[in-house]
Amino acid sequence: MMEGSPATSLITTGNESLPAELETRTAQRFRKVPGPGLWLPLLAGMLFLAMWELQLFHRLFDLKKYQLPLPSAIYEALRDNFSLLLSYTGYTLAEAVLGMLIGSASGFVVALAATAWPRWGGGSLTLVAALNAVPIVALAPIMNLWFGDGIGSRAAIVTATTMAAMAINACKGMSAVDPLALDLMHSYAAGKKEVFRYLRIQNSLPYVFTALKINTTASMIGAIVGEFFFSSRGLGYLLSNSIKVAKMPLGWSCIVLAAVAGVLFYLIVERLEKVFIRWHSSRRA
Amino acid sequence: MSLLTAGMPEIQLDNVEMRYRTEAADVLALHQVTLNIAKGEFVSLLGPSGCGKTTLLRLMADLLTPTGGNVTVAGKSAKEARLARKYGIVFQSPVLYDWRKVKHNITLPLEMMGVKKSVREEKALELLELVGLQGFADKYPWQLSGGMQQRVAIARALSMEPEILLMDEPFSALDEFTRERLNEELLSVWSKVRSTIVFVTHSIPESIFLSDRVFVLSPHPGRLSAVVDIPLPRPRTSGMRNSQQFYDLVSRIRGSFEGV
Amino acid sequence: MRGQHILLRSRALPLVVWVMGLLAVWEGASWLLLHAAKVPLAQSKLPYVHEVAATLWKYSGTLLKEGGATFGNAGVGFLLGAAAGAGLAVLMSLSRTVERLAFPYAVASQMIPILGLAPIIYGIVRDEQVSRIIISGYITFFPVSLNMLRGLRSVDLPAVELMHSYAAKPWAVYWKLRLPASLPGLFSGLKIAAPLAVTGAILVELMGAQHGIGVIMLRNLYYGPSHTYMFWSTVVVGASLGMASYGLMSLIERLVSPWQPEFRPKGGAK
Repeated sequence: MMEGSPATSLITTGNESLPAELETRTAQRFRKVPGPGLWLPLLAGMLFLAMWELQLFHRLFDLKKYQLPLPSAIYEALRDNFSLLLSYTGYTLAEAVLGMLIGSASGFVVALAATAWPRWGGGSLTLVAALNAVPIVALAPIMNLWFGDGIGSRAAIVTATTMAAMAINACKGMSAVDPLALDLMHSYAAGKKEVFRYLRIQNSLPYVFTALKINTTASMIGAIVGEFFFSSRGLGYLLSNSIKVAKMPLGWSCIVLAAVAGVLFYLIVERLEKVFIRWHSSRRA
Repeated sequence: MSLLTAGMPEIQLDNVEMRYRTEAADVLALHQVTLNIAKGEFVSLLGPSGCGKTTLLRLMADLLTPTGGNVTVAGKSAKEARLARKYGIVFQSPVLYDWRKVKHNITLPLEMMGVKKSVREEKALELLELVGLQGFADKYPWQLSGGMQQRVAIARALSMEPEILLMDEPFSALDEFTRERLNEELLSVWSKVRSTIVFVTHSIPESIFLSDRVFVLSPHPGRLSAVVDIPLPRPRTSGMRNSQQFYDLVSRIRGSFEGV
Repeated sequence: MRGQHILLRSRALPLVVWVMGLLAVWEGASWLLLHAAKVPLAQSKLPYVHEVAATLWKYSGTLLKEGGATFGNAGVGFLLGAAAGAGLAVLMSLSRTVERLAFPYAVASQMIPILGLAPIIYGIVRDEQVSRIIISGYITFFPVSLNMLRGLRSVDLPAVELMHSYAAKPWAVYWKLRLPASLPGLFSGLKIAAPLAVTGAILVELMGAQHGIGVIMLRNLYYGPSHTYMFWSTVVVGASLGMASYGLMSLIERLVSPWQPEFRPKGGAK
């Protein structure tokens, strides 16, 4: 019903098992007592920063300091504008979280429909996947027209960019039930609703969290890129504005904070996953 | 009987020991195994799981290096024999490469050896006929059943015309009926290629039906506990499975496990 | 053959109905906004489908040319990024040190909003062509590299032992085993990255460039309501570029690695 059409496998393919693998691998790396797995990348990172600070890259690529600011300058900009940056980070994060929640929820509903009525619901899945192929930058002006230049416009952009991943993954999870478990349900004379309630939704949880993890990154990107063009607040706004007025260090400090916020957001969702999936498997056992 | 045919043994293990060192403990997987396998002989390594029979096969294949003793294959060290491509190996699973058609899976070792393409293809067709899969050359592995896939794996092992065929429980994942049929087919293939075969199994009837001799291994630590000659005449037929002689051999081998 | 045809029809029919239905609802909503609700800027918010289609047709030459420029630039960056990403994956699979150095950063890069770097890179390079290529390449680099590495590692032990039993040289193990086995991973990376590369290229165009679909998108947005159909046309073209890039990768995948499990017909022999 869905695997075959190219657009539907848009997000799922590959990315789906990726975060899980990354997670275990990084966990393995960092849980151990400081071995080469930890200090080697750290050392490399520090070396990179030092070379940057000593203007090696500037000489290599013939760059001026106003083009590529030094790490120390970025740090200063970060320190001097910390309270402003922090409030903007909160604003952007709020857009991202709000949009992701709405987008993931609607994606889940689409998945429910597509699983319950494969023949006709499947079409909605393809449409959602197609929506995902619309470049965010093209969505921004439209959402601006519809929702003004407040938080709603970015939340809408994020909603549009996070729906597909959830719809496709959740649908996969709801369809990938053990046929024997399905037979068991039929032996109980369970109706469509019961099959969903007792089997499919439970079964989709790991997939749902995979989608949520994909969506954390996507939502931060959506929020920031959305702010580039029609906004008066937020990290993306400050970033593009700082670049326009050649305040490079401030622009870079926005990126630093966006990265930190993105990683934190991801780690929180990952933490939630651990809690929920444990509940899930304990319920099943 | 087998000793008479033996000039120089094809495979010779001398006081072989295999020890795994883990953080928790030292595991002695094989203890002082000494055995000779003659050229052209069909032998089985039989035992329960954990007796080290697969380890023994891997030592012959130079996929493992022993921690003590000597392994001689075709008059060379195990490593030299591997580098000289003296043996073909068949694993428990077919290990076919998904992206190669059946015929190209069979020619894989020949590509490694730099054999000309036309010769390779011809050889593949010939081998497919030998294992009863003519007409499947251009299929992909997934289009074949498990038993057919394992036959492709055997054809692949035979493609380099090895002196020795090492088989690690090749039919254990198949159902009883398929397994018995493949046993007979394997014997008919062997009667044509006449290589030395070392066959790992945990099935007593399978080892009896196939082999000239059965090496019985016991666990903890893995060691050779008995060598049983199988005097059943060749060619072997499925009817022999029901003979008194067959039953006697089964109980004799089963008896050699008792007290372990 | 006939069975396949029926399958195709049964799959395509609901989709066609959905698309038609959506377009009809769109057209109706557009009429409502314009004539019933009398919302300001009604046509900018939700233009008539037939007007947008007419504009698409009328200016198809320009749109194709500018879309082609975007696609070309994104394509160059995409190819460079994919090549570099695949190279890094091979290096990481060969050397533990390289992996330890690069892997944590590759993972972290998946968690941060990479597209946010676009203005910064544009600020550094100040050249639309080059920065479009850099952004597209950069966006492509990490997904391709991580997915390809996953593919290279997906080889199971017996398959390697088989190679070992043939006394295969290291290059042969790569050429005959690891690289073919990594193709599914490589292509899932490419399919993730391709639409992103297009988005990246359009983003750079919006920040000030001379050519590309993003440039006329921005221009028509500034011209206001009178150019709204043209603006929506550029959005349609942008979306099509994203989908086309994905479709192209899927097509190449089918040609290069037709043996993949997901391409097998269902209900056949196993």
